[in-house]
Amino acid sequence: MRPDIDLAYCKGCNICVYMCPKKCFSKGADISERGYFAAVVASPESCFNHGRTEKLICELCILSCPDQAVSWKPEAEEGEDVDKAG
Amino acid sequence: MELFDLYRKDHWPHVFCPGCGNGTIMNCFFRAFNDVGWKLENTVFVSGIGCSSRIPLYINSDAIHTTHGRAIAFATGLKLSRPELDVVVFTGDGDLGAIGGNHFINGCRRNVDLDVICINNNIYGMTGGQASITTPHDYMSTTTPQGNKEYPFDLAEIAVAAGANYVARWTTRHVHELTKSMRTSLTKKGFNFVEVVSQCPTNFGRRNKMPDPSALLDWFKESSIRRDKVRAAAIDHVDLNLAGQVTVGEFVSRDRECYHERKGGGSHGDGH
Amino acid sequence: MSIKPGEYFLQGNEACVEASMLAGAKFFAGYPITPSTEIAEGLAAKLPQAGGEFLQMEDEIACISAVIGASWGGAKAMTATSGPGFSLMQEAIGYAAMTETPVVVVNVMRGGPSTGQPTRASQGDIMATKYGSHGDYQVIAFAPANVQEMFDLTVKAFNYAEKYRVPTFVLSDAEIGHMRGLLTVPKEVKIVNRKEKGVRRSDEAYDVPDDLVPPFPTFGKGHKAMVTGITHSGKAAIEPEDPRIHQELVRRLNEKITKNRRDINKWEVIEPDSKTMIVSYGSASFGGREVAAKDDRIGLLRLKTIWPLPVEPIAEAAASCDQMLVCEMNLGQLYWEIKRVVLEAGCSRVEFLSKVGGEPPTPGEVRHKLREMGAI
Repeated sequence: MRPDIDLAYCKGCNICVYMCPKKCFSKGADISERGYFAAVVASPESCFNHGRTEKLICELCILSCPDQAVSWKPEAEEGEDVDKAG
Repeated sequence: MELFDLYRKDHWPHVFCPGCGNGTIMNCFFRAFNDVGWKLENTVFVSGIGCSSRIPLYINSDAIHTTHGRAIAFATGLKLSRPELDVVVFTGDGDLGAIGGNHFINGCRRNVDLDVICINNNIYGMTGGQASITTPHDYMSTTTPQGNKEYPFDLAEIAVAAGANYVARWTTRHVHELTKSMRTSLTKKGFNFVEVVSQCPTNFGRRNKMPDPSALLDWFKESSIRRDKVRAAAIDHVDLNLAGQVTVGEFVSRDRECYHERKGGGSHGDGH
Repeated sequence: MSIKPGEYFLQGNEACVEASMLAGAKFFAGYPITPSTEIAEGLAAKLPQAGGEFLQMEDEIACISAVIGASWGGAKAMTATSGPGFSLMQEAIGYAAMTETPVVVVNVMRGGPSTGQPTRASQGDIMATKYGSHGDYQVIAFAPANVQEMFDLTVKAFNYAEKYRVPTFVLSDAEIGHMRGLLTVPKEVKIVNRKEKGVRRSDEAYDVPDDLVPPFPTFGKGHKAMVTGITHSGKAAIEPEDPRIHQELVRRLNEKITKNRRDINKWEVIEPDSKTMIVSYGSASFGGREVAAKDDRIGLLRLKTIWPLPVEPIAEAAASCDQMLVCEMNLGQLYWEIKRVVLEAGCSRVEFLSKVGGEPPTPGEVRHKLREMGAI
């Protein structure tokens, strides 16, 4: 699984960036539609849960995000995102 | 996201400022809520006035947002009239410790089956950053422009002394420990009190050289000391408070008889 | 466990206890205060036997808060207090009005301001009952004048609180509360229960249109009720800044009482065609009652409902008499309200007999005042 940030909820507080022990997140450079510099999942492959689908561990990002903007996303969808970004 | 099913999605995103700890505490609470198998249909959330007291308005269940400081009194009446309902109180440092201090102390003493979550952000956030009863000594607020002359209350120690059934304190930096304590709190009967020291970047951090939530979380990490260590070293917790440090951990876990479990015997009377 | 039909010799406060039990009270939270304490003591003994809950709280603010909480749990809930305790309850009374919570508050009035005369009667809390909390709101208040009415009006207070979802008051005083007298409990007493959300019923007690008194979403029944003192819309979402929603809400909260005034108002008239009418209520009416009973020239309009003010009977009495005398145990509270109605009704002379200090006006004092007015 990989963490995913919902831009509709992220307020750009960057608590995920601070909390993540594996530095998966980084501060965003673009303003979201809601007017925040939303954080981005820069290196999802460093996440403890990379390659796992159950018995997820850590979850500091999920529990800490004050805006319920971080959630788990199956990695199968990763490719689609990459395509879009490209 | 499983937790999201418990919230009123039509009210999202919530009113809390970017970086506010309230959302973090909601995550931890509802993770624990799910873990212990509580159901929203059987739970009522009670709160007073303040930022933290807005939380029940975002939960998809019965909720009552009451007057300033009186949440525990409202919850006591509700629980005793409907003992089969689970009652959770969300409150803040000003709501619980200042204007509602008497209800808090007597709630601990009375030991009605309530779960009280106090979000202590060291400041009055909703009114724009005035000093609260937990603002550390010499810290800045709009009403202490030369630094806070007073010393903070230790809410968790008060709860221990007043007889609460379960008392724990963590900060928003300790999300896993907090979730675990909330689980314990929910599974125990009686008056259970969990205090969470939380960040208010907008009104506390900004005036105290910690405008970034991460700076406040760093401060929590540095200033928090496990209570068992403090006790083992025989350090007076008041001295720690004065130094702006905070003891964290599970403070007490008792098994006192709940108010409504007591049937009454009157063994000290003459039986009239 | 409720009192059986028959005749009893009871104290006013004890009659209030019996009435509460009969009306279906299931929750009481109180704090000791003279001269209302007997109500708490009575219910402490009786409520648990009837499956109810009695609670002594840490202060009166906690009492009224717990009572509101219990009411949302679905219980008929009440508290009893006096002067200083009543002052402490004011914020929560406004909260109950805003959240439309049925609660009953018995205020056994004593002399104020402040600690004043704890053991003496007064009618000093008339305005505080309606205007004590901030903002525009309406309440229902009854003023018993004897032990029987302490019983009857306490039952009515529960019924009206439930029917209109409003804080309802029994404004007794130290005289009535501690007076002993005859109580006749009738075979049948009408009891009204709140109209619950999602429950179909054809009870004639609910002839009030739903748009004025919404059905009550009791907690724990799947209504997902969001109760808040913040301005809220019909959907119960908080709307603190919308002028239209606030206006609609506050107007409805007031109109559900004022528009149903005829249903709520209770009064008694002695010698209605007299040239001089005394208007009074509670223990202040003792003297006037005796005078009116013995003198054809003098009539008495005794209000049993104080709030909302029984405008119609006052105007009717004013239209058919030459002059009026308002008799109260304060320095003029309901007097000004009554005077406004009386002047509008075309009676130009309204006098005021005021007595404070703890004793109701005597028949002699009332006659003396009537002589001054040239009525006798």
